[in-house]
Amino acid sequence: MKKIFIIEDEILIQQSLKKLFERRGFSVDVSASGKTAIDMILANEYDRIICDLMLQDISGFDVIEESKKKFSAQDISQKFVIMTAYNSPQVLSRANSYQCRLLNKPFEDLEEAMRIMTE
Amino acid sequence: MENRPDSPSEAVHERLTLHLDPSVLEELGPDFSLSSQFQILPLAEAQYALLKKGERLWVNYPDGEYCDFPFYRKNISLILNGLEKKIPPRSLAQEPFDLLVKTTQSIEKRVFSAASPGRHTKDLWDEIIRKINSLSLESHSLRDLTEKILSVPFLQSFETSLVILHLKGQTKAELLGSLWRSEKVQSFIEVKEFNAFFNSVKKSKIKSFSTDTFPKLNLPFNGSFLAKEVISRKYSLVAITSRHDFLSYGREEIELFETCIDLLQPHFERLIDQEFSDKRISELRICLKDFPLPLRIKNTVTGTAFQNDLMKTELQDQDIFFTKKVMGPFSLDLYDSDELRHYAFDLFHFQRISLLGELLNTLRHELSNPLFGLMLGSQMFRTLDVSVDNKDLMKEIEKNVSRCQVIIENFSNLYQIQNDPKPVSLKKIIDESLVLAKSEGREIRKKVSYHDETENLEISVPLIFVVQILFNLIVNSAQAMRDAEVRGGELSIRVCKEDELIAIHVQDNGPGIPEEKASQLFKPFFTTKASGTGLGLVLSRNLALKMGGNLEYMMNNESNGAHFRITLPVT
Repeated sequence: MKKIFIIEDEILIQQSLKKLFERRGFSVDVSASGKTAIDMILANEYDRIICDLMLQDISGFDVIEESKKKFSAQDISQKFVIMTAYNSPQVLSRANSYQCRLLNKPFEDLEEAMRIMTE
Repeated sequence: MENRPDSPSEAVHERLTLHLDPSVLEELGPDFSLSSQFQILPLAEAQYALLKKGERLWVNYPDGEYCDFPFYRKNISLILNGLEKKIPPRSLAQEPFDLLVKTTQSIEKRVFSAASPGRHTKDLWDEIIRKINSLSLESHSLRDLTEKILSVPFLQSFETSLVILHLKGQTKAELLGSLWRSEKVQSFIEVKEFNAFFNSVKKSKIKSFSTDTFPKLNLPFNGSFLAKEVISRKYSLVAITSRHDFLSYGREEIELFETCIDLLQPHFERLIDQEFSDKRISELRICLKDFPLPLRIKNTVTGTAFQNDLMKTELQDQDIFFTKKVMGPFSLDLYDSDELRHYAFDLFHFQRISLLGELLNTLRHELSNPLFGLMLGSQMFRTLDVSVDNKDLMKEIEKNVSRCQVIIENFSNLYQIQNDPKPVSLKKIIDESLVLAKSEGREIRKKVSYHDETENLEISVPLIFVVQILFNLIVNSAQAMRDAEVRGGELSIRVCKEDELIAIHVQDNGPGIPEEKASQLFKPFFTTKASGTGLGLVLSRNLALKMGGNLEYMMNNESNGAHFRITLPVT
């Protein structure tokens, strides 16, 4: 697994994650906008997509819905990692419906979070 | 002058002896003047007596009967008017009389065709009319009249007489009357069932039924019965009579029963008007009377129309807190009072807490992402090739970020209003309050001690309530010491068990509170501070009472400082 795509509008989080992944030998693309992210997903091949839920323009779920044009349900469950600070029951059940990994912000343990995102 | 029927030259009036309860006189008001036909006598000597019993108006009649009506002015004057009309020469009130004539004419034909023609019928007819007139004059209430119907000549073989009355707008119909000429009954019937019954009776030509046909009505007897509907603008009514057997009724009986009920219609009208139609007004009046704030309804023309028990004479126009023009010349005034303040506090407090809760929740969400960014950024830098010094600095940044996260988390939890509070450690509550009051109380030394194994105690009370009380006490104490320029200020919080309660003593060595002021401490808007609202302690005590505890000022203490005690139930 080589290529990671980070969709996160809080630049400090986005850049810190980018640096952390790059130091571990991954190639990383980033986007702060959900709409740009959709175009990039359709145009490029990513092994892992780490997506924040609360973006400025659209929600992370919208990004996943749009990616269905390219990915099967199984692809989505393997490629996407959802990051969120608001784990309400609605968010949890919707995230579960895609069967992808879910990470709560702030991370309780950075190493553990990095393992979940990259394995 | 000569046409006046009541001129003394034409009729000599007997005087009725009457006893009026002082509260009845009070209700009538000073403007009321009693007709000269009444003579007021003590209770034991009077023929009639009007008394107040609880919320009801009781009327005692010379025949030993008594009736009760909703207690209000209109009913008293209605009854007095009714009594006046009893005075010979006997005459019906004009309006019912007109109605009677009209009804009689319309029915006459039917009766004469039903009964066999001849002189005998005319006699029966006269007798019925005479009987109905006299029994309706003797009746003091709808129940009374219903029972007396059975004394009409042709109904003497009947055992039961009931009416089911539905006043327009009420959710239930009321059944009343008597069984076997003696057993009084009263019950309520759902409007839906009543309407179905009423319509069947209305549609029926023969007016005879069996109780089996209406199982949902739950009539208090079994067998066949006669029923006749009466409809008016304000109510619908069905009169029922039965012999308690299963035999069918003769055509003549049916016709006579119908006639009888038709004839009684104006009397039903009068009695229902007197007794029931203003029931809702009377109920509203009771609600207003029990309204927990001083309240007055004013008529701009005649002055006070109504006031409740809390309304005291010393309340002046400037004490009006809320006024609203109602209908016509009426306006409703609510007065400022301790009760009002009590309710206003609760509302004020609740609004403040929920607003703070919302603000803090938003704040927590808004701060959470940037704080996480700072944390991640610092963690990332720490993985770079930096000196040990810088790594320590990064760790320090992370520690501060964590602290910010914890503080904001605790704050927003504090202001969540929980209906079902979870058990919280008492120690945590006290620590939290000290953190909150840190900046206000920074010059004073704080000592917290736990006795009777209270240190690890958990209590199920709303966290914010206790924190708010403690916060108030700590801030008050700190301000008092600062104003009095006390050096070496000390505040002790001592937790112990007292009489099955948890007691938290909050005591300082400041200037204390003089005895004459101490008694006023918990009065709303009482303050000794230049910028105080006088609400802090009142609110605090309200909160303590709400939790089943209390907040008191301890008068005799040796240290001269202020000493408060919060008590809380052990949960």
